[in-house]
Amino acid sequence: MSELLGRQRNRSRFLTGVTVFALALCLGLVAGLGWVVKRQLTELESASSDNLQWTLSQAEVEYLRMTLAIERAADGTGSLSEARRRFDVLYSRMATLESSTAFDALRADPGLAESLQRIREFLEGGVPLVDGSDAGLRNAMPELVPAAAALEPDIRALGLEGLAIFTELSDSRRDQLVRTLLLMAGVLGVLLCGLVLVAGILLGLARNSSRRSREALETAERLRTIVETSLDAIIVTDAAGIIREFNPAAEKVFGLARSEARGRVAAELILPEESARELSGGLLAFWDEDRRPSPEERHFELAARHSSGRVFPAEFTIDRAEQDEGPVFVAVIRDISGRKAAEAGLTQARDRALAGERAKAEFLAVMSHEMRTPLNGLLGTMELLRDHSLTETQSDLLDRMQSSGRLLLGLVNDVLDLAKFEAGKMRSEVRPFSVDRLVEGVVETAAPLAAANGNTLSWSWTGPSVDAVLGDPRRLRQVLLNLVGNAVKFTRGGSVELEVEAVGPQGAELEFRVIDTGIGIAEEHMDRIFEDFETLDSSYAREAGGTGLGLGIARRLVRLMGGEIGAESEPGEGSLFWLRVPVRPIDEAPETAAPARPARPAPRKPLDLLLVEDNEINRFVARAMLEAEGHKVTEAVNGRIGVDCAAAHRFDAILMDISMPEMDGPEAARLIRAGSGASARVPIIAVTAHALPEEIATFREAGMDACISKPLEREVLMETLARIGSGGLAPAAVMPGPARMIARSNRTQSQAAWKTMAVGKRWQLRPDTVFIRDGRVQIIRLAIGAGQPDNSAGGAS
Amino acid sequence: MQFLNARSAAAWAAIALAAGSAAAGELAAPQGTPVLAIDGAISETNDGSRAVFDLAMLEALPAASFETSTSWTEGVQSFTGVTLAALMEAVGATGTGLRAAAINDYAVDIPAGDWVAGGPIVAYLRNGETMSIRDKGPLWIIYPFDGNPEYQSEVIYSRSIWQLDRITVTE
Repeated sequence: MSELLGRQRNRSRFLTGVTVFALALCLGLVAGLGWVVKRQLTELESASSDNLQWTLSQAEVEYLRMTLAIERAADGTGSLSEARRRFDVLYSRMATLESSTAFDALRADPGLAESLQRIREFLEGGVPLVDGSDAGLRNAMPELVPAAAALEPDIRALGLEGLAIFTELSDSRRDQLVRTLLLMAGVLGVLLCGLVLVAGILLGLARNSSRRSREALETAERLRTIVETSLDAIIVTDAAGIIREFNPAAEKVFGLARSEARGRVAAELILPEESARELSGGLLAFWDEDRRPSPEERHFELAARHSSGRVFPAEFTIDRAEQDEGPVFVAVIRDISGRKAAEAGLTQARDRALAGERAKAEFLAVMSHEMRTPLNGLLGTMELLRDHSLTETQSDLLDRMQSSGRLLLGLVNDVLDLAKFEAGKMRSEVRPFSVDRLVEGVVETAAPLAAANGNTLSWSWTGPSVDAVLGDPRRLRQVLLNLVGNAVKFTRGGSVELEVEAVGPQGAELEFRVIDTGIGIAEEHMDRIFEDFETLDSSYAREAGGTGLGLGIARRLVRLMGGEIGAESEPGEGSLFWLRVPVRPIDEAPETAAPARPARPAPRKPLDLLLVEDNEINRFVARAMLEAEGHKVTEAVNGRIGVDCAAAHRFDAILMDISMPEMDGPEAARLIRAGSGASARVPIIAVTAHALPEEIATFREAGMDACISKPLEREVLMETLARIGSGGLAPAAVMPGPARMIARSNRTQSQAAWKTMAVGKRWQLRPDTVFIRDGRVQIIRLAIGAGQPDNSAGGAS
Repeated sequence: MQFLNARSAAAWAAIALAAGSAAAGELAAPQGTPVLAIDGAISETNDGSRAVFDLAMLEALPAASFETSTSWTEGVQSFTGVTLAALMEAVGATGTGLRAAAINDYAVDIPAGDWVAGGPIVAYLRNGETMSIRDKGPLWIIYPFDGNPEYQSEVIYSRSIWQLDRITVTE
C-alpha cells in the first residue's frame, strides 16, 4: 500500500518537475524575446528620434546655404565669415553622417560611399582655405564656387538614396519586429496552453484531493462512529504506551473519563500490577521488539483493573498500525467477567454431571462386583455339594441352581463390561496366538449348549489357513463366543457353522462367519440388533433371556480391535454374522499349555498350606476343596496376618489373595520374601481375578511363583498343588511370562470343563469367560474404586 | 590643493563679478567673438535688447561639470559649462521657457522648469577642450543624462542642442 503511494508520489513529483521546467523554459523564451523586442523598439525609436531624414535633408539645406554663402562671398555681396561659418556647419553635419552608427547602412552602400568620399574630399580640400587668411580665401573663390556646385548631385543622391535605404531598413526592422512579435506570440500561446494544461491538471488534482479528503473524512467519520459505538473498549496508544484515544466503551469498562485517560500510560492505568508484570514477561514481546504482532500474539486474556480497583478478566486484541508520526497500538478490550462466570458455571455443571455419571457407574460396578462375590461363593459351594452323595432329585435341583447362578453371573458380567466400556477403560492387546486353538476352544465351549438344542456345531477354514497371528485373542474369543452362543441359542435342530478365512493383503485380516439355520432376523430389525439392551421379541429370546447387551458389547470389542462386525439374515432361513479384524500373521504361535491333560497325578502328598484370603466364603470354599484332598489349611484373613503366619511356621505353599484390606497380596509376598521367616522361600501362589499381563508381571516381581484364577476350580487348584507337592513348581517354569501362563490357565480350565461335560454333566460354568470377565471386573473395580475403603471392595478378590 | 584653492578663488571671484554685474544692472560688452546672443524676456542686456556673450564672459559665469554619455557621441564625455539656471539669472530672464536655436537654425524649446541647479548646462568644453563649429561647437545645451535617470527620456534628449548660437526667452 505504502509502496504504491510512494510510486504515485514519485510519478507526480516527476510530472511536476517536468511541467515546471517546461514552463520556466517558456517564460525564459518570452523574457528573451521581450528583451529582443525592446531592443528593436529602442533601435526604431532612436532611429526616429535621431531623425535621420531630417539630418539628410538638413545636410542638403546646409550644403545649399554654404554654396550660397560662397557665391555671395565670391561676388562680394556676402561676407567671408558667413561662408566660413556655413562651411563649418556642413563639415560638422558630414562628420555626423560619417561617424554616427545610425548611418552605417548609408555608408555601406557603394554609390553613396563614393558620394560621401567626394564630399569629404571637397571639405578636406576647403579646410586650409577656410582656416587661412581672408585674402587667400577670396583668391580661391573662383575655384571653390564650381567645386561646391559640383557636389550637388552627390548631396542630392545622399538625400534620396539615403531616404530609400532608411525606408528599407525601417521596413526590414519592422518586419523583424513583427516576426519577433509573432514568435513571441507563438511562445506565449504555447505558454498559455501549458498554463491551461497545468491549470487543468491542478484542477484535476485539486478535485482528486478534495474527493480523497472527503472520502478520508467519511471513512474517519465512519470509523469514529464504529469506535464510539463499539461495545468493546478501544484504546489507542503510541509506541511509549501513552493513551491517545479512549472510546466511550473504554470509559465505561474502566470507569475513567476520556480526558483522564489520555496522556497516561495505559499499562499503569488499566492493569493491576500482576498483569503488568505478566505483560513485560512476554505477552508484549512484539512491543519491545518494535514489530507487528503475529496473529497468535494478538489475542490474549489478562486481568484488567477498573478505576475503582476492581480487577476483572478481560480479553485483549492488540495490533499495530504504522502512521507518519510513528507506530500506534490499537487494543480492543472486552470485559469477559460474564463469560468467565458462565464458563465456570458450565464447568461446574459439567463436573457435577460427570460426577453423577461416575457415581452411577461406580454404583453399578460396585454393585455388580459385590453381587459377583456371593454368586461365586454360591457356585463354588454348589460344586462342593457335588462331593457329597446326592439323590437324583437333589442333583437336579443342584443343576437348576447352578444354571440360574451361571445365568445371573453372565448378566452381571455383561453389565460390568458395559460399565467398563463407558468408563473407557478397555484396551486392546496385541500378542501371538493360534487361530485354530482359539476357534476350537470357542466351539468346545459352545458345544454343550449346541448339543442341548439339538444343533450340530462345526468350524472350518475357507481357503488357506493362517494359524499364527498377532492380535487380541481374549476379545476375539469373547465376541466369537457371543456370536456362536447366540447362534446355538436361536437354532433348534439345525446347524451352526463357524467359517474362518484369511482376507486382505497377506492375510492381514481374519474374517469369521457364524452361519446358522435358525429363526433368522427380520429386515427391519437388522439395524438395531447391535444396539444396547436390544432384545427382539421372540419366544426364543425370551426363553434364552439375557440383557440384550451381548451384541452391543461384541460390536464395541470388534471396534476396539479395529475391525468390523455385521449380519445378514433371512427370517426362517437362518442368519450369518460376520466379523473382520486386522491381525498380523507371524511365523509361529507361542507354545501354549501342556497338550492333553494327564490323569490326575497320584498319589498326592498332603500339604501344609497357608490360605491368605479376606473373604469368608472364598476361604470356606477353598478350605473345603483343599481339605477334601487331604491338605492341611491354615487361614489368614489379610496380608499382615499372612506375613505373621508365614514367619512363624513353615508351610509347603501359600495361597495368596491379591486384593485385601490391611495389606494386599503382593505387598505381603514381598514382605515374606524379604524377611527371613520360616516360610520365606516356599512357593506363593497368587489367587486372583487379576489376569492382565502387566499385573501378573507385578505379582512375579513381588516374589509370587504361580497364579490361579478365581473362582477356584477344583481341578486347577489340585493340579497346581500336585505340582508343588511333586516339587514341579519351580518358579521359572511356572511363571515364564504372563501370556503363556494365562493361555495355559485358560486352556486347562476349558479342557477341564469340556472333560466334565464329556462325562455326562449337563451344565458347566464357562470358566474361560468367567475368568476373563472376572479379570475385567477386577480392573474396573480398581480403576473406579480407587480411594474407596479397602474393605468395601476387597472381598471378591 | 593649491590648484584647487586657486580654482576656488577664481570661482568666487567669478561669482562676485557676476553678482556685481547683476547688481550693476547691466552686462559688459563682449570683447572677443560673440558666441551666444540672448533676447526676449530678459532684463540684462548689452546690445540693444539682446545680451551678447563671448566665450570669456561665459567662462566667467559659475561653471559646472559632469560626465555623461549621449546618443550623438561615442562613450562617456565630460562637459563643462555654465548652468542654464545661472545663465538665465545672469540675463535676468523672467519667461516661462526659452527657445534655443543652432547655427543651422535647428531649434528646441526648454521650459523654465529645467533651469535648476543640477540641471542642463551650456557647455563650452568637451573633454576639457573648446569645440569648433566643425566639431558641432562652439556651445551645446546638454543635460546630465547619466547623473539623473529622469533625464533619460526622448523629450529631454530632444531638448539637447549643439552649435547653439542664440536663445530667445519666451514670455
